[in-house]
Amino acid sequence: MVNATKGLFISCDIPMGQFIINMNASLPASQKFIIHVLDPTHLFVQPHVGEMIRSAMSEFRDQNSYEKPA
Amino acid sequence: MGHGEKGRPSKKPKFSSSKDDLPFDDDDTYFADAAAAEDDLRDGDKEAKKRDFSKLELKPDHDNRPLWACADGRIFLETFSSLYKQAYDFLIAIAEPVCRPESMHEYSLTPHSLYAAVSVGLETETIVAVLNKLSKTKLPKEMVDFIYASTANYGKVKLVLKKNRYFIESPFPEVLKTLLKDEVIGRSRIRSENQHGNDGFMISKAMGEIETSHDELLNGAELAVAAEEKEAHSFEIDPSQVENVKQRCLPNALNYPMLEEYDFRNDTVNPDLNMELKPCAQPRPYQEKSLSKMFGNGRARSGIIVLPCGAGKSLVGVSAACRIKKSCLCLATNAVSVDQWAFQFRLWSTIQEEQICRFTSDSKERFQGNAGVVVTTYNMVAFGGKRSEESEKIIEEIRNREWGLLLMDEVHVVPAHMFRKVISLTKSHCKLGLTATLVREDERITDLNFLIGPKLYEANWLDLVKGGFIANVQCAEVWCPMTKEFFAEYLKKENSKKKQALYVMNPNKFRACEFLIRFHEQQRGDKIIVFADNLFALTEYAMKLRKPMIYGATSHAERTKILQAFKTSREVNTIFLSKVGDNSIDIPEANVIIQISSHAGSRRQEAQRLGRILRAKGKLQDRMAGGKEEYNAFFYSLVSTDTQEMYYSTKRQQFLIDQGYSFKVITSLPPPDSGADLSYHRLDEQLALLAKVLNAGDDQVGLEQLEEDADDITLHKARRSAGSMSAMSGASGMVYMEYSTGRNKQGLAKSKPKDPSKRHYLFKKRFG
Repeated sequence: MVNATKGLFISCDIPMGQFIINMNASLPASQKFIIHVLDPTHLFVQPHVGEMIRSAMSEFRDQNSYEKPA
Repeated sequence: MGHGEKGRPSKKPKFSSSKDDLPFDDDDTYFADAAAAEDDLRDGDKEAKKRDFSKLELKPDHDNRPLWACADGRIFLETFSSLYKQAYDFLIAIAEPVCRPESMHEYSLTPHSLYAAVSVGLETETIVAVLNKLSKTKLPKEMVDFIYASTANYGKVKLVLKKNRYFIESPFPEVLKTLLKDEVIGRSRIRSENQHGNDGFMISKAMGEIETSHDELLNGAELAVAAEEKEAHSFEIDPSQVENVKQRCLPNALNYPMLEEYDFRNDTVNPDLNMELKPCAQPRPYQEKSLSKMFGNGRARSGIIVLPCGAGKSLVGVSAACRIKKSCLCLATNAVSVDQWAFQFRLWSTIQEEQICRFTSDSKERFQGNAGVVVTTYNMVAFGGKRSEESEKIIEEIRNREWGLLLMDEVHVVPAHMFRKVISLTKSHCKLGLTATLVREDERITDLNFLIGPKLYEANWLDLVKGGFIANVQCAEVWCPMTKEFFAEYLKKENSKKKQALYVMNPNKFRACEFLIRFHEQQRGDKIIVFADNLFALTEYAMKLRKPMIYGATSHAERTKILQAFKTSREVNTIFLSKVGDNSIDIPEANVIIQISSHAGSRRQEAQRLGRILRAKGKLQDRMAGGKEEYNAFFYSLVSTDTQEMYYSTKRQQFLIDQGYSFKVITSLPPPDSGADLSYHRLDEQLALLAKVLNAGDDQVGLEQLEEDADDITLHKARRSAGSMSAMSGASGMVYMEYSTGRNKQGLAKSKPKDPSKRHYLFKKRFG
């Protein structure tokens, strides 16, 4: 019997894939959002988490980039 | 135009042509870029509102003038103007360079820079007049007021050592009266018997300033005023009170900072040292210029000269010593550079072999006769603990002697408190500080202004590159993506202490490093230095690639041996250095630097490391603009993407970018087809490396704990860390593995003493 699940398909590079997996792992079981890790650069996740991943990622990137103080 | 050239750091991402090589998928970079672009827009708006200079009045012949002077103290200089050279010389004397890219320089007027200007003999009126002449616009009133306010008191008072008596000298008797009203200064005054003048000040004719290049820009009438002889009023003060008097004159008290000058030609008390520059030593134009700032009026001024590494700082130091011709105390940062300074003195001057001596933990020499040059380290002089009898004698001699010149190398590295100690311990008439990078992360630079003196001269890096005096360096930032396994560990919270080790040991980085070493060794025949601050990484890389390395615990003899091999042998083309190699190790042969790990965001370290390869090589005509080789030196900084290293790396580059350098970003190293040629190609090798990093103790993967370089005092510190050598060789790792297995844990539990009541009866008997 085939089950259809609605979700979000994410394609990213390897480090960001790891970042999302790590993020998923740090959440309590009820909030885990990854439905399936297809391969290191492709993930299938719950449909509502797109924004959350984006904001977490941009925060992570901000930490790693330097702006010259004016 | 206020914010026009103050754009973002010039980074030119150079992506390889085929799309498959891109390290990121498109949608991944998308939102980060968009966010950054938005930020930019907002910042731009704010800046534009703050800095609106459209009201400034443009002079009719503005085309011929090179400067834009803005009311907030910032000055922009067009380097393509025909007056660039003169304007540059003038600006560097009065203002602080902020950013100096190729065609437009930014300077800013600060109280300190104006203090420096006054101390090299420029007067307030001259500054305003010349600035007005060069500016495209009418000078804003705010700027003129600022110059007057800042220079009102600077340079009005001079502290002069004449025949070993300290005098406070000033052309303005009313200023001296104000000073004498102060309790501390009044008490320390010595009244002499034969008093001239109404106020009891001694009056002498001081020589007018020796003509400086700025005078060309003044008209005849102004020139006549400048050249006129000036009367100087002075009174004598008690030598023991000099330090207190100086302190009272600082801006936080009376606000008459004193300039220190040494009238060495009229000093008959201290014996002369017979040394001349050899005829073969021909100072380059910028070296001449920096010396002329120091000896502008026939006396020696104390101050700091800033020249890029490799531009010949030591020749400036030796020349200064040769002009003063008195005993000279030369301070360096470590034993290796002590040897180098001693060598430079012998190389450039006619000094006798027995008149120069080194004082380090290894060699304690004393000079013959009554004058000479002593080369030693800051540590040796400032050390407060117990010394051996022999060095105690020498240090006593150093303390009791009056030095003509105190020459201080790498002034930016020495902590301020050590400076105070050195300066209070040694009596010197004139202090000259030399450095390449007047930046510090902790803003202690301002202390130097008052401890040594103002900045006398600072060279423009790009001008020296164009003149072929220093190497033209291609700077590149190599982006190495993290591998999946390393990045997964990097993200884990429990590995927060090992983050650095993880991004440094990133296999992609290792492969990029190996590729670059091979490329430069085999294709170009270059000499390569690899820098790693992280000791664990240093040893791993060096062992795996089978290259010699030098770090804190390496003995002086071994260092010399490795460096000698690197200089002469064809076999040794690459060496690995920890941060002990940052300063002063002179390796003129090297022309490639690969940096695999670094001390957080230190701009100074970046510039110092670049300096290791700045010494110009090859024929002069090849190096000049349009010569055969565009670039003859390479500086690679390997960075693991998506990690903290990206932040640090950008921060570190700021200083060099401000000097006009640009960093090229390389994303395709090593080439995708390099495959198994390089190490860590297979996944199991990478995993083994990962396990090694994770199993290493936190103390091993951290930064090398070694502040000063090894000599008499710090050698003990260095020795302590030698214990980890067994760990580096893998021996202690084995032990660690054994203990960590479950079986051993049980074994440990069993060996605990048991409650006697629970013992088996057979054993009860035995222990009974």
